[in-house]
Amino acid sequence: MPEVKPTIVSSENPQVYEDVHVHAVYDEIAPHFSSTRYKPWPIIAAFLSSLPTGWVGVDLGTGNGKYLPLPYDRPGAVWTIGLDRSINLLKLAKRAGDVDREVVLGDVLDHPWRRGAFDYAISIATIHHLATPERRKLAVQRVLETISPSHGRALIYVWAVEQDELSKRSIPASADNDGQCSSPSGQTGRGQDVFVPWVLAQPAESKPKTRRKGKSGKPATPETPETGVDAEHSPPKVFNRYYHMFAKGELNQLVADAASALGLVLGDAPADGIVATGEGEKECGVQIVQDGWERSNYYVELRRWER
Amino acid sequence: MVRLITHNLLACHAKGCTSNNFPLQFQDAAIELRDAEFNADFLRGFLPRIEWTALVGAARQLGDTSLPAEQPEMLDDEFLQKLHHVLLEVHVEEGAMVCPNCKHVYPISNGIPNMLLAEHEIG
Repeated sequence: MPEVKPTIVSSENPQVYEDVHVHAVYDEIAPHFSSTRYKPWPIIAAFLSSLPTGWVGVDLGTGNGKYLPLPYDRPGAVWTIGLDRSINLLKLAKRAGDVDREVVLGDVLDHPWRRGAFDYAISIATIHHLATPERRKLAVQRVLETISPSHGRALIYVWAVEQDELSKRSIPASADNDGQCSSPSGQTGRGQDVFVPWVLAQPAESKPKTRRKGKSGKPATPETPETGVDAEHSPPKVFNRYYHMFAKGELNQLVADAASALGLVLGDAPADGIVATGEGEKECGVQIVQDGWERSNYYVELRRWER
Repeated sequence: MVRLITHNLLACHAKGCTSNNFPLQFQDAAIELRDAEFNADFLRGFLPRIEWTALVGAARQLGDTSLPAEQPEMLDDEFLQKLHHVLLEVHVEEGAMVCPNCKHVYPISNGIPNMLLAEHEIG
């Protein structure tokens, strides 16, 4: 397994950078990637199980749609719509769990919805693919804008610098070095920009879908090791996906910044009856219900409120 | 898939398009009807979240006139079955959705709506 390696976001246009180092890669590796992504993480499963029947939500960066069939204990009790930028992942997501799902080709930085239309939103392993602090903050803003201002709930997961001992990935030795960090120094919770390789073995006899030569769309840029490849098989391709690994405290700071940008109070909802604001004036806020680290990821669960 | 449950939530988000940007209008819609699991509890819970007039209008655009213009107070099984069919069993596979305000066209291909904007169209 090739190592995770530090990188520096080089393009002047982060959108273009993400197109090359995230979206095009996922379009190329979609079927193989999907075959490795089927087990829901416990906190996400518990979150989706806790939702009232009849709620409708959106999975921002749904990938292969592995969370769309949940909750398993009450299938069909809530309805999650999946959004992603990778059309090839969406083709898998729309039959996640072998049932018709609703999926939308879209960007997590856009807002193609009625405002506050959703009861809940999840964004799992997605925001860490955005290449600048501003874009990551905007993505959190979009999560908050997508859900109902009165009761909307959200769960966000991002990859952590602090990796699980059991993780198959090796951590770049320079993870804590200042020199490799793209964020401005002096801030709390700096993360680490890295490339995470995806090795796509290409046996000639299977999965023709992984080779989509001649199709439309931007080509990814694989590095092709030329050594030791027998003629029967295509050479394995290594695709480097861009990640921003989050430092401790960084996700919560992002939530605070996003809340501030939207004019939301960050904190628990005031108890009924003690609101001191003027007549008819509503105070809006967002509460951090829980946050923490699970299996190499930071997560935060949010709830919006208005009084 | 674009079913009417999704259509009822989508809105135009092109640059500067902030009013009269919902509901999107179907254009050249090719539909498929496919059975879905009926869940009365889900429908009862989801009902208050629906923009009813938009749902009825969109269903009529797709040739389904089974829903009443006003949301009924009695949620009997017959009504819930109709609602289930309109929301979850009518799939728009090909065609487009057009913004009633700025006329932006969002294509639908293989049942997947493309809500991406070109860079200059992003607000």
